[in-house]
Formats: sequence, structure tokens, C-alpha cells
Amino acid sequence: MEAFIDAAYLALTPTAILAIGLGSLVGLVFGSIPGLTFTVALALALPITFAMDPVPAIGLLLGTYIGGMTGGSVSAILLGIPGTPSAAATVLDGYPMTKRGEASIALGTAVIVSVFGGIFSLIVMIVSVDMVSRIAIGFGPAEKFALVLFGLSTICGLCGRSLLKGLISGILGLMIMTIGLDAIDGVSRLTFGTVNMLQGVNMLVAMIGLFAVPFIIEAFSHSGDPAPKHVANVRAQLPPMGLLLKKTWLMLRCSVLGTCIGAIPGTGGAIASFLAYDHAKRFSKDSESFGKGNIDGVIAPETANNAVTGGTLIPLLSLGIPGDPATAIVLAGLMIHGITPGPALFMNYANEVYGMYIAVVIAYVWVLGLQLVGIRLFVHVLKIPRDMLAVIVLVLSVIGAYSIRNSVFDIYTMAVIGVLAYLLVAVRIPTTPIILGMVLGPTLENEFRTGMMLSAGSMDIFLTSPIAMIFFGLAILVIGLQMRSELKSKKKTQQSIEVSDAS
Amino acid sequence: MTDRMQDTVLSILLLLLAGIWIWLVSTTIPGGLGRGDVGPRAFPLTFGIALAILSGLLLLRLFLSRVDAAATEAAARSQIEWLPAILVLLEISLYGFLLQKTGFLIATPVVILLIMLVNLRVHSLKAVIGMSLGVTIGAWAVFEKLLGMYLANGTWINLG
Repeated sequence: MEAFIDAAYLALTPTAILAIGLGSLVGLVFGSIPGLTFTVALALALPITFAMDPVPAIGLLLGTYIGGMTGGSVSAILLGIPGTPSAAATVLDGYPMTKRGEASIALGTAVIVSVFGGIFSLIVMIVSVDMVSRIAIGFGPAEKFALVLFGLSTICGLCGRSLLKGLISGILGLMIMTIGLDAIDGVSRLTFGTVNMLQGVNMLVAMIGLFAVPFIIEAFSHSGDPAPKHVANVRAQLPPMGLLLKKTWLMLRCSVLGTCIGAIPGTGGAIASFLAYDHAKRFSKDSESFGKGNIDGVIAPETANNAVTGGTLIPLLSLGIPGDPATAIVLAGLMIHGITPGPALFMNYANEVYGMYIAVVIAYVWVLGLQLVGIRLFVHVLKIPRDMLAVIVLVLSVIGAYSIRNSVFDIYTMAVIGVLAYLLVAVRIPTTPIILGMVLGPTLENEFRTGMMLSAGSMDIFLTSPIAMIFFGLAILVIGLQMRSELKSKKKTQQSIEVSDAS
Repeated sequence: MTDRMQDTVLSILLLLLAGIWIWLVSTTIPGGLGRGDVGPRAFPLTFGIALAILSGLLLLRLFLSRVDAAATEAAARSQIEWLPAILVLLEISLYGFLLQKTGFLIATPVVILLIMLVNLRVHSLKAVIGMSLGVTIGAWAVFEKLLGMYLANGTWINLG
């Protein structure tokens, strides 16, 4: 209780509340603009937090994450274009509602159910993080290595359509992180004698390059495309209490679904929202009206994708495993402020963790307020042409990359990584596994090498630990399942080609 | 270029990268001392070999598969826009160079001006100057004055 009161002191300062509010606003704006994801916002917001205390800093990042997840629904409902992939399912019924002149009620319902899903997942997270941390506290190097290997296997879930290309992307991330001074022996690796390379490729610089630069190139490639001019002039209208009470059971089911999906690394909001949409449709008495403006088609995906936020924080805080790029950036933010997520989190940083819980609640209050009060103003952002936004993103990216170490070398690195990321995406290699490889790579290597030193070179340390074996098994299972699903989809394609050849 | 050809070029380039990586790692990083000391070379070398194997598999899959494997990924297909990509690379590099030499307050409007004229082909003088000065002053006020972040001072010219 004492730790919680101390945390409240940290999280309820005017600076912290304003930082969380700023994050929520930035997240909402970035999340609502199609193509400009909140992951970009997170990467750009991270350098701003350097000068802040840990709780306001992490609060700003969490606010951006939560605001972004909620903001995706704005353009999905008003324009029929999802602001984020996780809002794609909301388009199906949200946009038809706008066409029927019910945009205000759709937006209001979306924000209320988003807050419901988010708070639900926060409660689950509070209970789970402590529990999982207690189990993981006894992990040694062998278990940690196996756990990180399992975390890396979730790259499969982020691979898109080709497991092989996803694995190549993950390996590229792992390779990048070996450049620079070796953490154990202090040997310089692939630095070519330059001082700038000794610290290796900074993860934040790489993240800004990977997420922001491809957006800039894309926007400049299609410069001249008109911005949507007809954005409905709306306000967010609160749904009637009767409707919310009637839909409570659906909201609860979708919250559970979203939280569980979020807790599995490598999944994310898009999967959760489509599963929730499908679930709502399947169990609806009026399933035929789905796709034509059924409010359940807005409630289900919006509840689920916001419930993902708490779910993804469970493996992040308790085990130090980020499930998606957004949480990877939050992880980087935590580490920059001296908070190392993992089993010892509560022992070392109880105040900061409770402070983060309070920050999540404040973020949802901000999101609710901003959406209900400020939506009239901030829908005008949707009218700004993408290429003009890209100019601003370019300046912010350079400021972000430079401010990390006040080094121009980082700006050049960001540019090169960004252009390479653009090329990789164009040849259908997903860039998300690169991030996972970069985040988990150093731990993977350090734990393995420490384990080998402790066992005097015997692999038995990894093979005799039941926990390590469970994680190895899970990693094999994840890869096996992905391979099976890829083979199945390939078989389907082959069959459809044979059918079309025959006809 | 078809998707199949694109994947063939990609896998050959990746194989080449893996080969160079393995050669560099083997010749420049010392190995472990044994008895539990894995050494700093083991992991980069393993990753290089893994990349070589995976790129080889990608190439092999292309040769063996009757169906255009890449066709199954058509949904994610996008064309490479070389000119904007190269321009962005050059502009960010120029921005970095100018930041160091002339500082944030000169480098930013110059680069925005360049982007507006070259990439976006905006001809309205009002829009070009408004955007260049607006973004520069806005960013300077928020980051340097409000948040206390250091935005580069120039070594040739310094406007503070």
C-alpha cells in the first residue's frame, strides 16, 4: 500500500498528467491518420522523454500507445480507411454508420468501449504481471536464454505471408545488434576502426529509421494525392446507457479475447479485432446486418483492440519480452530510464510500476476527454495532405535521431536504415522481426555465454532445466504451427491455380 | 521486374551479404578460449551462417516451386520508387551535414525549402516560406525552449 501511495505521488504530478495528456493527444492524431501509425509517434516521442523523470516519461509513451490504439477508429469510422491495422475491422460497420448519418454515435460508442476494454485489460495485467514475475524470479541464464529464444520464435507471428522472409528479417536484426563493442569481452566487432561504430547501431535510431523513413518516402512518392476533403463535421456522442448495459456481455467477452491475444507475443490488435468482430457476428441474432452498420460491429473490434494494450504489457513487464513494435519502443523507454523489465521488476522498481498502472488509467481519462470534447477540432488533422505531414515527420525524425547522442552520425545511420527498410518492405520482407531481433539479440547472446561459462562449456545447463526445455518446446511449437499454416495456404493457392487452369 | 525475379535477385544479394559477413567476422573477430568461453565471434558467425542458409532456401524454393511463390504474397506487393527513396536519403544526409555546419535554425528551413520545391513541387511562394519558417520556429520553440533539448549549433554559423 505504501508503494502504491508513493507511486500516486509520482504519477499525479502536473508534469506527469500533462505528459500523459500530450502522449494521448499525439497518439490520437498519429493513430487517426492512415499510414502514419502510432509506432512512428512512439519512435519520435521517445527522445523527448530523455529529460523527464521515469514515470512521466513512461506515461507519455503509454499515453501515445493507448491514444494511438483508440485513434485508429476515427478515420475508420469517418473515412472508411483504418488509421491503424487494428482498426481495420471497425471500418466494416463504422463507415456504413457514418454513411447513414450516425457517425457521432459510432465515434462515441467506440471511445467508451475502448476505455472499457483498456481498463479491463489493465486489471488483468495488474494481477498477472506480479504473478508471472514471481514465477520467473528464479530464472537463471539457461532459462532466460530459452525464454528469449521463445520470444524470438514469435517472429513467426509477425512474418506476414512468408516464414522464410520473416526469419531472414529477424536474423538481419540480430546481425545488426552484434555490431559494436561486445558486452562481455569488450572486443570491437565489425566497427572498421571507427569510433562512431563502437557503440553499435543505436536501437532508437534504427527504430526511427525503420518506421518513419518508409512513411516519408511513401508519402513523397504519392505527393499530389488529394487529402480527403469531405470529413464529416461530427462530435462524439455518448451512447445511451441502456445500449451499453445491453452490450456489457459482448464487451466483456471481447475484452477477455483482446487481453488473451495481446498477451501472446507476435499477435497484436489487428488479429484481436478481427477475431472479436467474427465472434460478435457469429453469436449475433442479427448477423445479416453486420457490414451494413451494426453497432456490435464497432463495439466488438474496438473493445478487443484496446484490451490488447494491457495484454501486451504482461509479457513485457514480467518477462521483458515485447510482443509488437510498439511495446518494443516502450521497452526501450523503460531501459533508458533505468527500469529493466523482467522477473525482478517488482523487487527493484515497485513504485515506478504502480506509477505506470496509474498512468494507464490517466491516459484513458485523457483519451476519453480528448475524443468527447476535442474531436471536432482534431478531425481537421485528417484534411492535412500526407506529404505535408511527411515533411514534419522528417524534421521530427532528424531531431529524434540527433538528440539521442547529439551525433550527426546517427542521422546518417537513420537515413540508411530507413531507405533499406523501405526497400525491404517493397520486396515483401517484413521489418517488424528486425526490431524483435534487435531488442532480444543482446540478451540472447549474453545469457547463452554466461550459461556456458557457468557450466564450463557443457550444454547440459540448457538441457537439464525443465523450464528451459518447456520454452524450447514452445518455440518449436510456434515455428511448427506457422510452417503448417504456410504449407496449408500454399496448398490452397496451388489448388485454386489448378482449378483456374482446368477451367 | 516480376516478383519471382525480384526474389531471385534478393536471395542472391542476401547470399552475397552473408558471405561477406562471414568472411569479415572470421577474419576480424577473435574466437573464444574454450572451456565455456564462447567468445565474441560465435554469435555473429552463427547469424551469418543462418542468413546464408535462409537465403539459400529462398533461392532453392524459387527454383523448385512450380507456382510463383511470390504470387501468394501479392497482397503485400508494392513497387520500388527509386527516385523518392534516393532523394530522401540525400536530403536527410544533407540535413545532417548542415546541422553540424550551420545549426538547426538554418539547416531546417533550407532542407524544407528544398523538399517543398524538389519533392513536392509546390510553387506557391507563400506555402513554401510559410512551411519552412513555421516548422522551424515551431520545432525550435517546442524542443529547445519548452523541453530544453539541445538542437545542434553550427560550427560555421551559429544563430543560437
